[in-house]
Amino acid sequence: MDSRETIKYLCSLSKLEITEEELVKYELQIEGIIKYLDKLDSITLSDIEPISQERNSYQLREDNAKSSRTDLLEYTINKEGRFIKGARIT
Amino acid sequence: MKVLMNQENKEYRSVKIGLEIHCQLTCLQSKLFCSCFCNYHGLEPNRNICPICCGHPGTLPLLNKAAVEVACMVSLALDCKVPDNITFYRKNYFYQDLPKNFQLTQYNAYGITSIGVDGRLDYGEKASRIRRVQLEEDPGRLVYESGGVDFSSSYTLIDYNRAGISLVEIVTEPDFTDPKDVRIFLNKITSIIEHLGVCNTKRQGSVRCDANISIQGGKRVEIKNVGSFKEVEKALNYEIARQKTMSMHDIKVLAETRDWDDARKVTKQSRAKEEEQDYRYFPEPDLPTIALDEEYVSSIRMKMPELPYERKNRFTANYELSEHIAQVLIDNKELADFFESAVKIYSSSKEIANWMVTEILRYTEEDIMEPKINSSSISTQSSSSFAGLKIEAKHVAELAELIDKNIINRNTAKIILTQIIKTGEMPSQVLARTDVLKIEDKVIISDAVESVFKTENSAVRDAKNNPNVANFLLGKVMKITKGRADPKITLNLIKIKLDGLN
Amino acid sequence: MSKLYERSANEINAGIRGGEFTAEEYIHQILERIDKVNPKVNAVICTDRKGALEKARLVDKKIREDEKIGPLAGIAVGIKDNICTRDLKTTCASKMLQEYIPPYDATVVRRLKDDDAIIIGKLNLDEFAMGSSTEFSSFGPTINPWNTDYVAGGSSGGSAASVAASECPVSLGSDTGGSIRCPASFCSVVGLKPTYGHVSRFGLIPYANSLEQIGPIGKTVSDVVMIMKTIAGADDKDQTVQVTYRTPDYTLSSNEKMRIGLVRELTEGAEPEISKQIYSAMDLFTNLDCKCEEVSMDYVEYALSSYYTIALAEASSNLSRYDNIRYGFNFAPDGYEWNAYFAKIRSNFGDEVKRRIIVGTYVLSSAYYGKYYLKAQKIRTMLKQELRSLFKKYDILIAPTMPILPFKFGEKIDDPIKMFMIDIDTVIANLAGVPAITVPAGFSNDLPIGLQMIAGEFQEQKLFNAALLFESKTNIDRNPEL
Repeated sequence: MDSRETIKYLCSLSKLEITEEELVKYELQIEGIIKYLDKLDSITLSDIEPISQERNSYQLREDNAKSSRTDLLEYTINKEGRFIKGARIT
Repeated sequence: MKVLMNQENKEYRSVKIGLEIHCQLTCLQSKLFCSCFCNYHGLEPNRNICPICCGHPGTLPLLNKAAVEVACMVSLALDCKVPDNITFYRKNYFYQDLPKNFQLTQYNAYGITSIGVDGRLDYGEKASRIRRVQLEEDPGRLVYESGGVDFSSSYTLIDYNRAGISLVEIVTEPDFTDPKDVRIFLNKITSIIEHLGVCNTKRQGSVRCDANISIQGGKRVEIKNVGSFKEVEKALNYEIARQKTMSMHDIKVLAETRDWDDARKVTKQSRAKEEEQDYRYFPEPDLPTIALDEEYVSSIRMKMPELPYERKNRFTANYELSEHIAQVLIDNKELADFFESAVKIYSSSKEIANWMVTEILRYTEEDIMEPKINSSSISTQSSSSFAGLKIEAKHVAELAELIDKNIINRNTAKIILTQIIKTGEMPSQVLARTDVLKIEDKVIISDAVESVFKTENSAVRDAKNNPNVANFLLGKVMKITKGRADPKITLNLIKIKLDGLN
Repeated sequence: MSKLYERSANEINAGIRGGEFTAEEYIHQILERIDKVNPKVNAVICTDRKGALEKARLVDKKIREDEKIGPLAGIAVGIKDNICTRDLKTTCASKMLQEYIPPYDATVVRRLKDDDAIIIGKLNLDEFAMGSSTEFSSFGPTINPWNTDYVAGGSSGGSAASVAASECPVSLGSDTGGSIRCPASFCSVVGLKPTYGHVSRFGLIPYANSLEQIGPIGKTVSDVVMIMKTIAGADDKDQTVQVTYRTPDYTLSSNEKMRIGLVRELTEGAEPEISKQIYSAMDLFTNLDCKCEEVSMDYVEYALSSYYTIALAEASSNLSRYDNIRYGFNFAPDGYEWNAYFAKIRSNFGDEVKRRIIVGTYVLSSAYYGKYYLKAQKIRTMLKQELRSLFKKYDILIAPTMPILPFKFGEKIDDPIKMFMIDIDTVIANLAGVPAITVPAGFSNDLPIGLQMIAGEFQEQKLFNAALLFESKTNIDRNPEL
């Protein structure tokens, strides 16, 4: 694996901006972690189905609507009028 | 020339189109994962939000029971198999309209988890396979600072009222080869959705369709941002032409996403386009797998409203309507409902159907229609009024009765109809007010005058010498129009006609 | 009445009910205690003086007016700062949430408040609960009250240290891979990780949602049980809560002849002083007529890689939402293009968090999903099954809580793998979703050692029985000099 390029790609996928220094610092550490996780390769479990939590269809939330008690906009820092402010698209 | 034509046909035959239809489940009360309202139209921005749908830290999704039922119903209506279990997956990507920067959706690459798979929908002579039906959440809405799409705006405004609304996504196999077929198919889907009562399709934005198209085995282009089903055919035709032109000039068609520009009627490279995304799908840990047993699926099947093809069969069988007329009614559910309500009151089904198809249907043109109030439950929908107008089933029923009993003719009935639309009175009430029944239409009066002239030949000949003939003829016209012709107009027309004969 | 801060939660509750002292008096002493020792320990990052005193006065008023008071009336409780408290800043010890004020209470917080407990403040942690030493906090590390050169453990370092330092008798922490049990063990207090699906996670700011639970920390087992009775049980705000009952009816009996298995791999893998202590514990149980045996577990060797794969994968997705648009801190988006804005904002994560996001993104990418995430889930299944069959034969399993003694600051922070390795004893319970408790078992070189007990799903009662028994027969110091 070309660590630096891979890490840069992963950062762009997860919208993380890291400096050159951080890249140098992390490179070995991340390689080490992934190598440790490769321990999973040392066992074959092809026939196993992961157990997952199950619930019945009747144990779900009833379709009732209600207004929120609080105006969430009061807890928002960047806003204009009733809109929440975001960064420009291009 | 011949060679070129063959090439063209070959290209056309190798067109492959697949559709992704998104349909908001407007029949529900609350959002997919929280108790905010499903119907928020008319509310100010960000009035229909809560910590859950805004992705506040520590909040958890709470799956809506009815949403699963409705989605199951849609799957069954499209002849899909419903799996024993369904699971939700996270589709991870960043965008400002996505409160958690992942969308909760369903995904079948690691095992079937979506609410329906392997379905099929016939439309006319053809059929399309349905790859899958899935439940997912709608994102919020980005609004731009200067009220239009202005790339140099220094910021964006966001409204999350829509974030978390339940969507059913219907994905077809790329079985379409002709945009015309796509239109027919989409109309069929609309009819089914309306008959199931799960979505108010007439509301702007409640159904959306993206299309994937490839030509001659080339790269696949995705067309997004098509505003309505009607535009899909246009967008596809444009795209086919664009790609053909490119290949004629030996330019390679890129695999990309293109947006449909409704104003200029072209597709263009997507502004929001990102590189081929790795969405890193994995099962949502905050939601358990939902077990759907046979009992559940059968109960949904039993609760399902009548599907369009079932209804059409019933119309042709029980009401003795022609295939064509039955189809026209079915294609517009509201019309079909209206028809059945009227027939309940007065059973002259053929007469009433005729009225529906010839006169009432005109009022479904969008420019005449009033904005509708959304009906909220699956099984009940007001079917005795129509298009938000004052006309009701009882009016049409009585009109049909009056015609059947020869009390009025069809022309008169048409006039009465225009009155009913305005005032909501019963036809018999309108009839009783004779001055309202006044015929002022020159064409109609002319016809009456013509027929009187024919029958009263001798009087007409006498008119040269006898000025009273005009009044006599007027009387005759009044008689055959049952006193409703406007005397002044009638007299004028009679005089003009008499002058013309001399 | 003085040194009320030394009393257990049960004693406080009884004292206030009995009119021995008022809640207000008690809270004043707690606040003084915090002022005195917190500079040394750095466990409490935000003290809610106003709120706590207001609530104390309310409790006193209720008592004066003979109104019904809740079962936790007057008890000061500290809350780990990754659990949402309405209108009280909740930061996850991260710059990313440095100004975040939640608009709602976590279910566990609401339940504590409804039962008249007094929320005293928010407690320090590793940023976003990612760490085992509370050295990765934007508020600086939490110090072990037993020896100020040593870490308090993590990620709920503040929760454990505050209890050990008597800043509050009980606290709430969260445990994803050992984050309650590790610091509890390092600080010589009792800490419980409940069965997955026993306590609502609504309001717990997630690190790894399929692995974590909120749990209580206290100096005594009965204090821990007391809190569990309030916080555990059905909640319609969390669809992963498995139980249908609202209030569990735990008892405090400790007279049971139990069948106990000692997990060989974990015990032998620990430092010698620790192993010794665990074997002594086994002897103690044997002398109390319990049936004790060594057991072996086949899948232990894959537990850490399985845990870190799943945890980092889930974390990378859970942390995507932090883009400062809907909440966060004061940094306007004006003038920025959105990709640049997001990247700028997200550079505020600490190193450990960034590393975990990067690795998590890697293991979730479609090319590697089968190799890592799916495989890790299969290991989990094997572990679960292995434990299920063990719990048919045994009531509880015992093992060390930590394979090592508390370590000094800086010893492990530069090597992520070294840090990961210390979770080996604790991750198994998270992977399998079973409950586990740590109780103080002894000291070595004046550094605390914890005994871990693990039981089957929803068998917390068995843990309490064993823990109470052990506690009653040992007398391990829980009060460091400060």
